[in-house]
Amino acid sequence: MSVKLAGELQAGNVIMVENLPVVVIKAQYNKSGRNAAVIKVRAKNLMTNRVSELIYKADDKLEGVMLEKKNCTYSYFSPPSHVFVDAEFNQHEIDAETIEDLEKFLAPDMTDICEVTFYEGRPISVVLPKTIIREIEYTEPAARGDTSGKITKTAVLKDTKHELQVSAFVEIGDKIEIDTVTGEFKKRCN
Amino acid sequence: MPRWDIFCRVVDNYGDIGVCWRLVQQLADEHGADVRLWVDHLESFARLCPGISPLLAEQHVGPIEIRHWPADFPVVDAADIVIEAFACELPATYIAAMARRTAPPVWINLEYLSAETWVDDCHLLTSPHPGLPLTKHFFFPGFTSKTGGLLREKNLLTDRAAFDATAAAEFWHSLAVPPPADGELLISLFCYENPALPELLECWAEGSEAVRVLTTPGAATEQTARWLGKTLVPGDSVRQKSLTVQPLPFLPQARFDHLLWACDVNFVRGEDSFVRAQWAQRPFVWQIYPQTENAHFVKLEAFLTRYLGEYDDKAVVQRCWRAWNGTGDLGIAWRDFVANRQAIQQHGTAWAAQLDRAGNLANNLARFVRGI
Repeated sequence: MSVKLAGELQAGNVIMVENLPVVVIKAQYNKSGRNAAVIKVRAKNLMTNRVSELIYKADDKLEGVMLEKKNCTYSYFSPPSHVFVDAEFNQHEIDAETIEDLEKFLAPDMTDICEVTFYEGRPISVVLPKTIIREIEYTEPAARGDTSGKITKTAVLKDTKHELQVSAFVEIGDKIEIDTVTGEFKKRCN
Repeated sequence: MPRWDIFCRVVDNYGDIGVCWRLVQQLADEHGADVRLWVDHLESFARLCPGISPLLAEQHVGPIEIRHWPADFPVVDAADIVIEAFACELPATYIAAMARRTAPPVWINLEYLSAETWVDDCHLLTSPHPGLPLTKHFFFPGFTSKTGGLLREKNLLTDRAAFDATAAAEFWHSLAVPPPADGELLISLFCYENPALPELLECWAEGSEAVRVLTTPGAATEQTARWLGKTLVPGDSVRQKSLTVQPLPFLPQARFDHLLWACDVNFVRGEDSFVRAQWAQRPFVWQIYPQTENAHFVKLEAFLTRYLGEYDDKAVVQRCWRAWNGTGDLGIAWRDFVANRQAIQQHGTAWAAQLDRAGNLANNLARFVRGI
């Protein structure tokens, strides 16, 4: 067991809730008042498969669970599961619902090393690298003379068609770095 | 009858204790609740509630028990319903007492007020304690029926409606403030230190319309005094061209409501006065509590979006509020705002009616607790 701050929770983490292991499907961080923050967590109980929503203060200390982890790469989607492959070419299936918050970044040809977590031999969660690089399939050109003060625009990622906000200077075909915890654009890579 | 323990830490000024005191009174007066209020800083509380002695660790105000919350917290039995206001951390010994109960208490974290949409999704979510058989419920005030609503006493709106010119004249007389002259614009000013204030005072002084600004104790009076280059104490009246400045004494909550009702425009700040200004149904300008990473601008815009949803001339209010919070030309924005104050006031009345339909926080809280 380990101590995990609620403010550091991300999809794939496993924590103990009421003495049962739950895997975090989605962790949503919101600033509350006076610089406090709350974390809304969508989590799946690993014993009952029941999904529930919980909430914590960012500085709440939770009980993290130390589990077996393996580095894997994403292979393909075989409904209702995503398949990951480890260094020994073993395939590990994880149901899509459990990693729904990551699906927007999962592409068949991705080479990112993902951390797959196992509970009692069963793959239960995936953590992507802190940052990943993806290609922009579509975005509007930056408007010339735009004085509206808007500094971001919407862009669509290749393969996953996921939409996110990027800086106005990003163009079609650009590769961008994305923070997988916040899901936000970090910088242009080329 | 179930017992309530409400914990309040005074972080700064009177916002936290102001909200807690309103809630406690409403629970006791309107729901007959047996309430014990724990406050770490009784001096601040005593200003809001002059019946309080900062020196007494235990005292009563009517049926409400007031306890000082010391650093070395005493061993006490936990109540049936426990509220930690604004996410204050409960004493470890008290949490242990909660866990020792045969029936665990209903544990509520009363959160800060925000108009952001995520609040609707987080209201009433549970937070199981990592090591003890206790579950905390997050209760969010808010502006929709999916939240806990806003604090509003049962008689507030009828009292507000009954506050006529005669009542206003009596209020001014009680403060030894002359009633407004014909055409004089009356403004209350309650704010944090605000870099935009000198520009606004300049604008009022140089304008063609007579303006009387009633400053509240603290930053509003102190910053205005610096701008005037004079010391200001309650009872003073200082003229600067079109502007007259009159500093007020500290007003208890009910009297502060009367001030908001009697003025033409109210400048408010933080949470408690911000809510009261909405029930006052007068044009108001909000200074939001500043947060790191400018998170407060998101909250400001979230409120503007909700508040101005049906209003035709949104930009007039948006520009003035944004400028008061540090972005934009306040002088121009203010002139537009005040020129449109009749329409803004009508909108404020409709907005208060909309808020009223969402219910009020104390009732919603009592209902939620009964349902567990």
